[in-house]
Amino acid sequence: MSDVGIVRGCKIPKDLYYSVDDHTWVRLNDDGTVTVGMTDVAQNLAGPVLHAKVKKVGLTRAKGKPIGTVESAKWVGPIKTPVSGEIVAVNEKLADDPQLLNRDPYGEGWVVKMKPTNWDEEVQELQTGEEAVQKYQEKVEREDIKACEHVE
Amino acid sequence: MEDLEGKKILVIQTHGVDTPTRTYSPVYYAIAAAAMEMDVMIWFTMNGTNQLRKGEAEKIELKPGSGVTLKTLLDQALDAGVKLSVCQQSMDLWDMKPEDLIDGVKILGATSIIDLALEADHVMYF
Repeated sequence: MSDVGIVRGCKIPKDLYYSVDDHTWVRLNDDGTVTVGMTDVAQNLAGPVLHAKVKKVGLTRAKGKPIGTVESAKWVGPIKTPVSGEIVAVNEKLADDPQLLNRDPYGEGWVVKMKPTNWDEEVQELQTGEEAVQKYQEKVEREDIKACEHVE
Repeated sequence: MEDLEGKKILVIQTHGVDTPTRTYSPVYYAIAAAAMEMDVMIWFTMNGTNQLRKGEAEKIELKPGSGVTLKTLLDQALDAGVKLSVCQQSMDLWDMKPEDLIDGVKILGATSIIDLALEADHVMYF
């Protein structure tokens, strides 16, 4: 993985795009699709994930709509897509092993792949690189979010 | 999960601070339904009403030492778009006035709950 920022022990890879307020990341793939997942900060806030339900391939979602739901012992909520588009693949492994979201949020714990429909415009509202790390730093300080613990 | 968007769920909670272990799950289910894009309302009545008195829900901790209280969940529910409503008649039972309620709760009468039950796709009661 390329350069990784650290915010209170949470990893923020600088090559990804982030919707910091929704705790999601986006990776632009070579074929024009994007991979979407939840951040290290999000998995830490949720705690060990007990169930993850992901929407189905073929569904079109507007930015901000849920692409799935995540439940832990103390939290249940939506994963909101940071970009509009059609879901072209879902991570089937999450059904059997939802704690992939905790162990490898930027890798094996990806949630969906989408064909974005408004990327050029929507990417402007996402943060990447040092700017993303800075914005996350401000958020965890403002909301006093606890330091990351990594489940192995 | 695709057909659930916009479905209406009505959760009726009749348990309150005197039975803490019966207070969490109904709120948790409501938050889950909201996360699944459903239109969700919790109706607090009978003993359920007393958890809405300012300062009460903070005293009920999900698991000792967890730091997660019933108030945490009620706040999460409001953030998730769950509507909280309370039975006007039951407030009188607990000597509660509108200003005693936590923020974000709507006071409704008995006829409203009958309408809401008929309009809902599903009613869950606890």
